[in-house]
Amino acid sequence: MVIGHRSKCIYQQIIRMLQFSEEGDAERQIVVKFVMQVDNYLKRGGENVYLPDFEYYTPDSIAEACQLLSQFGASAKVIAGGTDLVNKMKKELLAPEVLVSIKNLDQLKKIEYVPGRGVVIGARVTHNELVKSEVLNEKYSSVSNAAQQMAHNQVRNAGTVGGNICNAVPSADLPPIFIAFNATVKLTGVNGERTLALEDLFTGPGKTVMTQDELITEVVIPDQKMTGSNYIKFGLRKSGALAVVGVAVAVQVENNVIKDARVALGAVAATPVRAKKTEDFLKGKEVSDELLAEAGFIATGECKPISDIRASAEYRTDLVRVFTKRALRKAIDEGHV
Amino acid sequence: MSVKVKQDYSYVGKSVTRNDAQLKTTGRAQYTADLKFPNMLYGKLIRSTIAHGRIKNIDTSEAEKLNGVKAIITAKDVPSMKWGLSPARFDENIFAIDKVLYVGDKIGAVCAVDEETVYKALKLIKVEYEELPAVLTVEESKKEGAPQIFEEYPGNVNTEIHHKFGDCDEALKDAYYVRTDRLQGQRTYHAFIENHCSIGMWDGDKATLYSSCQSVHYLQYHIARVLGMKMGNLRVLKTHVGAGFGGKLDPTGLDFSAVILSKMLGQPVKMFYDHEETFLNGHGRHAIGMELTTGVDKNGKILAHKFTAIMDGGAYTGLGIASAYYAGSLLGVLYNIENYQFDCYRYVTNLPPCGAQRGHGQPQPRYAFEHHLDLIGEAIGVDPIDMRLVNARQNNTVTTAGYEVKSYHLGKANEMARDASGWKEKRGKLGVGRGIGVGNGGFVTGAGFCQYRTDLPHSIGMIKIYDDGTQAFVYSQAIDIGQGSDTVLLQMAAEAMGIPYENCKMYAGDTDLSTLDFGAYASRQTLMAGWAVKRAGEEVKQKILEQAVEMFKESGRIKEGWAYIGNRELRPDDLDCKEGIVFVKQEPNLTLTFEEVARKYFVTKGVLIGRGWYHPGKLGGNHKGAAVGTSPAYSSATQIAEVKVDMETGQIECVDTWDVHDSGTIINPKLFHGQVHGAFYMGIGETIWEEVKFDNKGKLLNGNFSEYRLPTALDMPPVLSLTVEDSWEPNGPYGLKEVGEGATTPTMGAVANAIYDAMGVSMTELPITYEKVWRALKDKEKNEKK
Amino acid sequence: MANFTVDKDGIKRYLVGVKINGSEYTRVIKANTLLVNFLREDLGLIGTKKGCELGDCGCCTVMLDGKAVNSCLVLAVEVDGREVTTIEGVSNGEELDIVQEKFIEHAAYQCGFCTSGMIVSSRALLDENPNPTEHEVREAIAGNLCRCTGYVNIVEAVLDAAEKK
Repeated sequence: MVIGHRSKCIYQQIIRMLQFSEEGDAERQIVVKFVMQVDNYLKRGGENVYLPDFEYYTPDSIAEACQLLSQFGASAKVIAGGTDLVNKMKKELLAPEVLVSIKNLDQLKKIEYVPGRGVVIGARVTHNELVKSEVLNEKYSSVSNAAQQMAHNQVRNAGTVGGNICNAVPSADLPPIFIAFNATVKLTGVNGERTLALEDLFTGPGKTVMTQDELITEVVIPDQKMTGSNYIKFGLRKSGALAVVGVAVAVQVENNVIKDARVALGAVAATPVRAKKTEDFLKGKEVSDELLAEAGFIATGECKPISDIRASAEYRTDLVRVFTKRALRKAIDEGHV
Repeated sequence: MSVKVKQDYSYVGKSVTRNDAQLKTTGRAQYTADLKFPNMLYGKLIRSTIAHGRIKNIDTSEAEKLNGVKAIITAKDVPSMKWGLSPARFDENIFAIDKVLYVGDKIGAVCAVDEETVYKALKLIKVEYEELPAVLTVEESKKEGAPQIFEEYPGNVNTEIHHKFGDCDEALKDAYYVRTDRLQGQRTYHAFIENHCSIGMWDGDKATLYSSCQSVHYLQYHIARVLGMKMGNLRVLKTHVGAGFGGKLDPTGLDFSAVILSKMLGQPVKMFYDHEETFLNGHGRHAIGMELTTGVDKNGKILAHKFTAIMDGGAYTGLGIASAYYAGSLLGVLYNIENYQFDCYRYVTNLPPCGAQRGHGQPQPRYAFEHHLDLIGEAIGVDPIDMRLVNARQNNTVTTAGYEVKSYHLGKANEMARDASGWKEKRGKLGVGRGIGVGNGGFVTGAGFCQYRTDLPHSIGMIKIYDDGTQAFVYSQAIDIGQGSDTVLLQMAAEAMGIPYENCKMYAGDTDLSTLDFGAYASRQTLMAGWAVKRAGEEVKQKILEQAVEMFKESGRIKEGWAYIGNRELRPDDLDCKEGIVFVKQEPNLTLTFEEVARKYFVTKGVLIGRGWYHPGKLGGNHKGAAVGTSPAYSSATQIAEVKVDMETGQIECVDTWDVHDSGTIINPKLFHGQVHGAFYMGIGETIWEEVKFDNKGKLLNGNFSEYRLPTALDMPPVLSLTVEDSWEPNGPYGLKEVGEGATTPTMGAVANAIYDAMGVSMTELPITYEKVWRALKDKEKNEKK
Repeated sequence: MANFTVDKDGIKRYLVGVKINGSEYTRVIKANTLLVNFLREDLGLIGTKKGCELGDCGCCTVMLDGKAVNSCLVLAVEVDGREVTTIEGVSNGEELDIVQEKFIEHAAYQCGFCTSGMIVSSRALLDENPNPTEHEVREAIAGNLCRCTGYVNIVEAVLDAAEKK
């Protein structure tokens, strides 16, 4: 080992070895006037580091998974696709000591229509499985289209529905369209299951009402009276971009009159938000360009975007106006797209 | 004289398969990071976490205790000699001595048994600073009383240029229309995908350094100089390089550390960057603030042009002086401007250093000028392409600055691009939210001078023929960073020797094994290394033909009259060799194979070697700074882009593009067009998406491909790439000129002008993001209401 | 549950069995080993490249059970019992896959650093969709960044490979 206190000797040694020039030595005067900062944590290497060590479990049942999560508490995280988790661990935003893999829980991989319940989507279904799902393409292709707009192909092949939801990233693409459909999530924990409306799951960026032992097991899109739906994601390029704004709408239109409407906004608040005033405004009214334009304006009052590296709050707010209008038009004219 | 002489070439002008095809498509091509040597150690740099300050203390004690850590070195352990890419500004040390100048500045290096341990050790090193006020923008840097980053750059001015040709003020008086515009460029980054990596190892007093670099020669020169080694004792070589675009020309802390640590520890040491560090390594495009004043006559003929450039240079000089000169030096090449003035100030700031990126210094000034030209044309009612045709330089002219321009077909390029794109049907007629725009550009084909002061030739080629004549080994330190230089050099060598391309093999980019070449920058490789290998090939051929004459004579064919042409004896110039067959030109049926002649040569005279060299000689321009911009040959190009702008959201979609290039003879059309595609791609990215950003502490905000957005395959439009067919450059081997960098220089102007045509608001700041477009449209709407 | 052993520092090391390019490999690794490092460091399959290491550039793309994924975001322990195809498994020995042939014919690479990932993504696409549209090709490779080619020749090569299939 060649470090620290031995460095002077080593320096002389190197000079001998390499015939180093000593030119410029006189410049080397370290004058210290103030102690401004002690950097005891070198941030360089904060990204792309090797992941810290952790323990790894592969439970064979949901109950066992919940048991492990309960046992390790806050130090444990569930790994499914890993696209978000591993990325965050590399950036040191998360440092779990235990990863509970749900790779063996094949019961979470199905998408099926269950009469009386609706479309049931397992938490381990990947984004590309949503894209290709026959059930969804037939009934709610807007969900497939929302999934298609996420990240890029490799991430869509690995990332899962459960991950996209439970990470509670404000710009996530699936929650808005699910919320527009009034979807529910089933949470399973050591004390059993509970079901709640997806929009009630989120409490803040990265935060949900889930307890530490709970796992999202399924998302259910209940049977709809909605005649059309649409999700528009606005990213700063056509692939591999997070949503700067995401607008999802579902509408029930009969004889050109809006019977019911649900509007959900993504990336413009701490959580996905319902634009309830906009919904109320639309209900019972006859469809017209003016009406939809007005709805867009109302929706801008229902978001609380921040300014960040990608977009200003002002820009995001105006985009909510534009895309609320456009998403409504698409849903009204083209059905579930 | 600049008209192509039609010749029947065997390989020049043919899209032969690249010499690295199998390796690169099967994953077998080894890049530096793929190499493993027995007993190899791994290392990374220790980097500053503050933008400006004095290093008070470096506590490595915790890291030392970590199992597997082999060495930690800082400035006190290495030579302190300053270095830099420009001899006029040696301002960099291997590791920061006393002061760090930006977040990411090099403080030292850690070496350990594996990568994971290196990362762990880095986290345990504590650096204590005395923080100094930092300057993070040019505005702050040039303020009176601003913190001084270098003693040797008072006022933080690193480079100052004042060029004056003709009399601008006088000429402006006579102008029909005078206009001033101010435009701003941004800091961008090369964004190659392969991170820098270096591996050092020693054998006695001789060192070997593998590096993913663009020039083994410069790397060898600088490292040997700073470490006090003889150049011959330091072998620098590269394997495959995952692109460079200018970002792998400067020696890095990795290169120095790999050599030093491997000597200290007696084991091979691999030093590597992760992706964010390649951004911190920097040397990307300067952000340039630009002010342009131009006077024209009624037809749009430029009478005078004044250009002021204010550049944010970042922390060190690197190639920055050249970047500053390039910002203005080619102005008078593209367009014929008799009176022009160029003033430039390059400031240092506490950000990563800037340097050369594809098109070196030129693309932003080209954007500014090309957009300015459109605004002038609009004001006087002249079509943008007509504006350019009026001013385009002609063949065989000398610029106001004294640069000699042989082949130049910019006018033809404009006409061809206009016709191919349907310009006349589209310009101004596509309706709101859709537009088409044009931009012109071009570049030097190699710099007229070495980066350091030397009388060395710029390129040397050597070809050795294998004993049995079946293979030709071509040697050059030319660097294939993906552009395909190995392939085109082999094509030219094969053509010159008259043997099959498939029988030629390249030994490139190795200071021990191959022959001198300055490397891949300034679009020099094809012309300069091209001349060298072509001449080497011609020497081989001459020897072969001489040998063949002897063989014809000895063959007993004399009796049959084979050794005679008419009444005289056969001479070498009566023969030729093509595709491996030596033949008598007047009697093409009289043949020998190259192989049998070469073998005979080997048996009777020893090894068959051809040598060639190239030096551009004295080139045009006598003013201070003429060295940057003078070149044996200049390419020119016209690009046209068509865009859609969403008038509500500001979203921009580039839907179609055209490029017409005046590059002289095209050696390999497929590789040529590939250069155009890639250049267009980088230019589009820089116009709309790309910008390196920092927070108010100088910390990099988007050193990743999620927030530093390169266009994806879904964002990239089709490109129609055409060439000016009859372009032929007398100063280039086989009549060729450059393409790689020139093709990036028109893009920003073309796309920006198309955006202007679509939205009707002039966008004067790069990148032209969706939000900026949205805001401009909102402001326009507000103003119209008033 | 995963099989493991504990090293002297108390770190668990897990037994992983995975089929890569048709061959079974069994190794004992730490849980934090990323698939890309497992392939490159443990198995010497250096055709898979390390670029951004954050899932943005795609040069580490491999097929996991036939689907293109970023191996920099996959834990090696997660592929236990599964199948991985890397660039080394796309060709059949010296016999190139049609995608590789077409990449060569169309000069669809320059520096070659993104090429492994690009070819794996393209092969995965054609396995699932033998006759893609140009848009589908672009969609399939949108997670593979290439700074050299502007994707122009790549898209042509993949479309050409599809037609030839």
